[in-house]
Amino acid sequence: MEVVGTLLDKLEFDTPRIFVRGVLEDSETGPLRDFIEKHRREVMDSGQLIVDFQDSTGIDSVPAVVLYGFFKELRRAGVRVRIENSPASVESIFESLAKFDSRGMEERRRSSFREVVEAFGSSGYEFAMMIVSLTRFLFETIGAFVQLIMHPLKIRWQMVLYYMEESGYKAIPIVAVLNWLLGVVLGYQAGYQMRVFGAETFMPALLGYSITWEIGPMLAAVLVAGRSGSAYAAEIGTMQVREEVDALRVMGFDTFSYLVTPKMMALLMVMPFLVLLANLSGIFGGLLAGTLFLGLPAETFISELGKALIPLDIIWGMLKSIVYAVIIANVGSFMGMKVRGGASAVGQATTAAVVLSIFMVILADALLSLLFVHIRPGLSM
Amino acid sequence: MKVEGLQGGWGEQLVLDDVSFSVEKGEIVAIVGKSGCGKSTLMQHLLGLVKPWRGRVVFRETDIWSSPEAMQRARRRWGVTFQSGALLGNLTVIENVKLPLKEYTDLTEDEIATVAYSKLDTVGLADFADSSPLEVSGGMQKRAGLARAMALDPEVLFFDEPSAGLDPVTSAHLDDLIRSINRSLGTTVVIVTHELASIFAISDRVIMLDAEAHGIIARGTARELRDSSGDSRVRAFFRREAAEEGKDS
Ligand SMILES: Nc1ncnc2c1ncn2[C@@H]1O[C@H](COP(=O)(O)OP(=O)(O)O)[C@@H](O)[C@H]1O
Ligand SMILES: [Mg+2]
Repeated sequence: MEVVGTLLDKLEFDTPRIFVRGVLEDSETGPLRDFIEKHRREVMDSGQLIVDFQDSTGIDSVPAVVLYGFFKELRRAGVRVRIENSPASVESIFESLAKFDSRGMEERRRSSFREVVEAFGSSGYEFAMMIVSLTRFLFETIGAFVQLIMHPLKIRWQMVLYYMEESGYKAIPIVAVLNWLLGVVLGYQAGYQMRVFGAETFMPALLGYSITWEIGPMLAAVLVAGRSGSAYAAEIGTMQVREEVDALRVMGFDTFSYLVTPKMMALLMVMPFLVLLANLSGIFGGLLAGTLFLGLPAETFISELGKALIPLDIIWGMLKSIVYAVIIANVGSFMGMKVRGGASAVGQATTAAVVLSIFMVILADALLSLLFVHIRPGLSM
Repeated sequence: MKVEGLQGGWGEQLVLDDVSFSVEKGEIVAIVGKSGCGKSTLMQHLLGLVKPWRGRVVFRETDIWSSPEAMQRARRRWGVTFQSGALLGNLTVIENVKLPLKEYTDLTEDEIATVAYSKLDTVGLADFADSSPLEVSGGMQKRAGLARAMALDPEVLFFDEPSAGLDPVTSAHLDDLIRSINRSLGTTVVIVTHELASIFAISDRVIMLDAEAHGIIARGTARELRDSSGDSRVRAFFRREAAEEGKDS
């Protein structure tokens, strides 16, 4: 089939005509465009166009929309366009094109700059609302926690033990190894730079302080958030999807004391020890870096460290870890509880749980550091 | 049990408005309607999972929403079977059935086991006691959920879409089970479904919801609604059943 439009003998017709024969198919879109290009000027000048479907039985959507675009352009330029002898199938295609004519433009408008700004605004608003409901959640957990502390027989010890094993015991290797590695790296880098001033004997003090006050607790918290915060969100989220949480509620169980407080209690009990482990591993890494790379004998390292550190350094990290434990258990559980819908919502919840709990842990750390940095006397080197 | 002037929905979206009905002791009431008409929403309000905007859900002369204690008392006398069975995935089937018994009775371990196994036997699952809920079929999960719901001999049993996701034979089997529990124990049953076969098989009374009406558009027995409803929406809903019956005969 072809586009026959030899824009026509002006002797026979005073109006340019396009004849369409047979079915105007997809594959003829290219020739159609060329044809339009070629005759545009001519049609514009004559001020009229007739498209005659007399011998046609149909038109595919792609050439139709090209033709439709041409008509629109012509009409805008004041050219009269008439479609003649079109079969019902062709007519209905043009009708439906006309109906959805401005959709593309609307969509584009919707994704305009203003939309983007609005999206930012509303996601900021949503974030704020989420923090509000997270805070409410936290208070409920603490309420349930206090209740349980007053009635210790009601504590689900079996679950607490289970989570202590999952989140504490099983985290020991990764916490130890990563902190040790970081201790080696930090010790080496710090010592290497300080050696320029012949000050490498200060390395143990600096390393010990950095690890016990920041790196040990923080790395332990990040690892626990990644391992357990996500696991809590996934566990509770899956239970939401499978209606298990609703089932617990209609059986009269308090979902906080059943699902949330055992996790928080477990983390409260294991986190301080994970932090202690992180500190010791990190310091041990530093010691190794000293002896291996800096010629700093182990005895010197230990005595320097002993001079610098005070008991508060160890205790402080363990205290901070209590705050971290509350954050991680609650953010993980909260994200799980928020799950609605299907499996993909669970995936999003686990990601959100990790990101938000790390964010909150760092925020809490910053606040605590600002508030309490002065409680420690200066390093004595 | 009575529902009075209940209005409810999600966020800003009104789903149910001024819904009132009552359920008599020992009857099976089916709440029916097309998808999206608010059956699940109504169930959430009835079960005390989502607070209605307005209205009362009265059980034994008390609005369950009036206080946490009232809610707890009602829940103690209710059993709920969820669409998916909602068995706790980290426990075995029998542990799931034991759960309410452990929580609410002072029976010994052995007594709890005896009761739990007998409930599981009622639904024909005694052989699967030690399986994980995740490794038995969908129909079995629902039956196990039913056993758990029956653990404390509830006065009212609620079912959310018991037929969903089941083949017709399994679904009919579950219907028989519900009917026989209702007959032998006198348990009141409230069942949400859009499965016409179930509606005809087991319900004493039908309450039909509609999305546009935000509430009840018809009530009566299934046959009354099919044969003599003046409402075209009701007829349309039941017409498919007529077609199916024609096909069967
Ligand atoms: N968890 C929910 N959150 C928000 N909206 C919901 C939720 N469940 C149902 N809806 C909305 O409530 C309306 C009624 O749905 P639903 O009660 O699930 O109907 P049915 O169970 O009869 O199919 C629908 O418009 C649905 O989108
Ligand atoms: Mg539903």
